[in-house]
Amino acid sequence: MSTALVELQGITKIYRLGEVEVPALRGVDLSVLPGDFLALMGPSGSGKSTLLHVLGLLDRPTAGRVLWEGADVTRLNGGKLAELRGRRIGFVFQMFNLVPNLTALENVELPLVFLGVPARERRRKAREILERLGLGDRLRHRPNQLSGGQQQRVALARALVTDPALLIADEPTGNLDSATGREILALFVELNGQGRTIVLATHDPEAAAVAKVRLRLRDGRIMEVER
Amino acid sequence: MILDILRLSFRNIRHRGLRSWLTVIGILIGTAAVVALISVGQGLQRAIAQRVEQIVGYNTILITARGLNLGQRIRLDIEAIRAIPGVRNAIAVRTETAYVEGPGGKGFLTVLGYDPAMAEFVAEMNLTVASGRALAAPGEVLLGSRTARVLGADVGDGVTIEGKEFQVVGVLQAQRAGGFATGGLSLSDVLVISLPELRQLFPGPELVHYAVVRLADRADMALVRERIRDHLRAVGERNAALTDFEDLTRNIQSVIRGVQAFLAGIAGIALLVGGVGVMNTMYTAVLERTREIGVLKAIGAKDSHVLLLFLFESGLMGLAGGALGLVSGLGVAWVATLVVSRMLEAQGAFSPALTASLVFGSLFFAFVVGAVSGLFPAIRAAKLPPVEALRYE
Repeated sequence: MSTALVELQGITKIYRLGEVEVPALRGVDLSVLPGDFLALMGPSGSGKSTLLHVLGLLDRPTAGRVLWEGADVTRLNGGKLAELRGRRIGFVFQMFNLVPNLTALENVELPLVFLGVPARERRRKAREILERLGLGDRLRHRPNQLSGGQQQRVALARALVTDPALLIADEPTGNLDSATGREILALFVELNGQGRTIVLATHDPEAAAVAKVRLRLRDGRIMEVER
Repeated sequence: MILDILRLSFRNIRHRGLRSWLTVIGILIGTAAVVALISVGQGLQRAIAQRVEQIVGYNTILITARGLNLGQRIRLDIEAIRAIPGVRNAIAVRTETAYVEGPGGKGFLTVLGYDPAMAEFVAEMNLTVASGRALAAPGEVLLGSRTARVLGADVGDGVTIEGKEFQVVGVLQAQRAGGFATGGLSLSDVLVISLPELRQLFPGPELVHYAVVRLADRADMALVRERIRDHLRAVGERNAALTDFEDLTRNIQSVIRGVQAFLAGIAGIALLVGGVGVMNTMYTAVLERTREIGVLKAIGAKDSHVLLLFLFESGLMGLAGGALGLVSGLGVAWVATLVVSRMLEAQGAFSPALTASLVFGSLFFAFVVGAVSGLFPAIRAAKLPPVEALRYE
């Protein structure tokens, strides 16, 4: 068995709302191996988004350890985590979350801007990936000139432009009609087929069905693993 | 990378359109007010320095009643002051109220005793005649334009002053403002006869509005001042004060600087209000773009990137307001000096000052106001935890 890409050990996450403590995760252990395609399923409040955020280094656990490619990153400072996110992780969100006043091409370039990649190379990579996702004729369009499916593909391009080790998607089909959703899911399957590691959180059984492994969460624990 | 963030900031400003313009206008008004006041103030200072030099000149001492009060007269003997070593020349301006009769009117009017040397000292004493000619011989009189109307007299007529017959040889050009020359009285309201004749008409102790003393080259200013004080003590004049060119400019300039600082302070409040506008806009922007901040952080933006992004936005708006404010402020200053110059008429036109320090100072200051106003909103944006920002609806 090869080294895990990400390993979560005894992850607990507790939110404080004034006096009340709300546990979102209660002792989760999880290994994501290179080439995995995991779907996190469960009702709202089951902790799947929190788990996704901890995996994506966007949130720190209250207790437990996060190992990235074998190294403990739990105590890393915000700047280092931001850099790690920028280099190794790609995010796709339910609401697409493109920057509204930038063109498709500029949105895709953005992660490379923060990594300090020179403009010419940045542009070349962004154009390449957009063309691969069938958006070669939409480079100069702004998000409000694109359909939902096109926006999600731009968002996917933005997540992939840094060639990340891990692609994280939070309800990627939640705001799309079923036909467009299927197109996006097909892209995920294709990417995984090329060896890309993917973790997605979803309500949608159709989305979960394309994953290799389904994890069901309830009350902050992984209740069931289905391969 | 900095340039890329700067470009992104610029996009965001343009994207907000009207709101950005309104914010910029806040800074614009403040900057314009400060620039206009400083520019006019500096122009005025320069003009006054020139004017004082024209009227009084270097190497010159002015003797007046205390507080530069030209209306109140002082006792002195100008011949004795001329005799002080180190004094090259001196004049005293003396007027008397006399009973005057002309062909078409009569009354108590002001008579100025004229000494040709006066023209060298006081620009206004270069009497300009509108008709006729200058004084040339005893028994001749020049009339101010209004005096000529009061007396119903013109060139060639005869008038009597205190019973003595004089021949009108010229009428002076009309003057609107009260003059420095006659202790606040306009030259339009006087009759001018030669100083020796005035002394004959009004013998006795000589009371003057002021005297101007010009020193010989390399004369010791302090020593001459001391001698003049000795003379004033000797004739029993206790109310006189001596002012030289430097005293005078220093006094006037310090008054102008004080007024200018006060006005610039008020204008500065306008700029402060502009800064509050920037802060308000930026806080709103941070709130509106909370999700976007979360996304930027998720895709690898560090806190410092987000901080710069927002600081550049407020700084750029400050800079834009500063540049536009500079141009409009100079425009306002230009119009204001035109209007004031026209009101001052012959008293001397002046132009607004445009110095490099004013240009770069105002641009820099506006940028700083923008950036400082945006600092707290930018810090708030930079410190947003990515997860909370992403969850924000």
